[in-house]
Amino acid sequence: MLGGGLIKKVFVNSSSAVRKTFFALLAAILLVTLDTYTEVFESSKKSLSEFAIPFQEVANFPNRVKSWVALNTTSRTELERKNASLEKERLILLGQLQRSAELAAENLRLRQLLNATELLMHSVLVTEVIGVSPNPINHHVTVDRGAKDGVYVGQPVLDAEGLMGQVTHVYDNYSTVLLITDLDHALPVQVLRNGLRSIAEGTSDYNEMRLRFVSPTVDIVEGDQLVSSGLGGRFPMGYPVGKVSSITRNPGEKFLDITVTPSAKLDRSRHLLLVFTFEDGGREDR
Amino acid sequence: MNKNNTTGLVFCMLLCAVLLQLMPVAGGWFLWKPNFLLLVMITWILYFPEQYGIEFSVVVGLMADLLFGSALGYHVFVFSVCGLILISFHRVVVYLQFIHRVTLVFVLVLLIEFLRATLNASLDMPLRLDKIFILAMISSLFWIPLDKLVCNYYLRHK
Repeated sequence: MLGGGLIKKVFVNSSSAVRKTFFALLAAILLVTLDTYTEVFESSKKSLSEFAIPFQEVANFPNRVKSWVALNTTSRTELERKNASLEKERLILLGQLQRSAELAAENLRLRQLLNATELLMHSVLVTEVIGVSPNPINHHVTVDRGAKDGVYVGQPVLDAEGLMGQVTHVYDNYSTVLLITDLDHALPVQVLRNGLRSIAEGTSDYNEMRLRFVSPTVDIVEGDQLVSSGLGGRFPMGYPVGKVSSITRNPGEKFLDITVTPSAKLDRSRHLLLVFTFEDGGREDR
Repeated sequence: MNKNNTTGLVFCMLLCAVLLQLMPVAGGWFLWKPNFLLLVMITWILYFPEQYGIEFSVVVGLMADLLFGSALGYHVFVFSVCGLILISFHRVVVYLQFIHRVTLVFVLVLLIEFLRATLNASLDMPLRLDKIFILAMISSLFWIPLDKLVCNYYLRHK
């Protein structure tokens, strides 16, 4: 009897908690269903996302301090060495640019001969990442440029290595960028070597994308460079997307299982470029 | 205990949890980052179940949904289940030794991650079961300072 009483004391009578949990679970299921299959919460979620941006800036503060300390504690010798290395790099890039200008002119002449439309020139706006999605499944970042800087929904975003993603939400001073590795992102690409077209889809892994609908008979090999194809009109053509890292032929499957390693440093880049084409009015590089 | 005594501390801890959750981490480390909101919720329900019950877990779950950008109700579901488990066993738990409490949090985080994986599977989202064990270990280690803080508070004010 004593044991039973003690057990009763130790295990609290939680029937009211069970009842509350039951209602909470019902409400949760209802909310999930409404949020997944309708857009009733979209506007309120957008307003609340804007409210979260100052918190993201505060959370990013240690990173900024780290960069500031690294910059201010670098010795003069180290800075001189870095400067010399950058100067060398600049000379190499200028040399390559001369060759690239010649190729661009030749390309333009050939396109005119073929009566093809001219390639659009792009200008860029430099922006900095101020927040990252805390959910490992959703890959999006917040940048410090918004509607006041002319940023628009659907605008392509690059880093120094390749295509990063596209702008999905624009606020006055901030924007949200959906990265190309997000599960909901798909991007038309082509193989640089032979122009083979496909769709690169995100996998929720920063280092991996997948190519869809590639037949086992096509010419594609590991190491092939993929660039944006420009189809769909969202991304300009010719920007590096990634490199084919593995190709698996599954017997009985209609399509190849191809993984791609993105060119952009999606989880590391802090400074990004927002691309403006002359189609959207163009602008000076900043 | 008067709920007003603890409100300030709970608010501060939730704010810190939000900031820690938003702090950027490079690449793969993301998958090992503990759910700080869950840890704060566990701590308070464990020590003050009368003040912070299922309603508290629902509110923290909603906060997590907005913070993580997941479907509204996703974390409410997970956190409510966690809250019920804690409320059902809290009288046993407060008499457990420290190491056993940490082990309990480890098991609880594992359970919650499995529940999340089940929900992910039903919502066609990717499963990441390979990192769950390490995540639970890291989460239980991060829970230690929270436990120390709230346990001291509990002993001083009970």
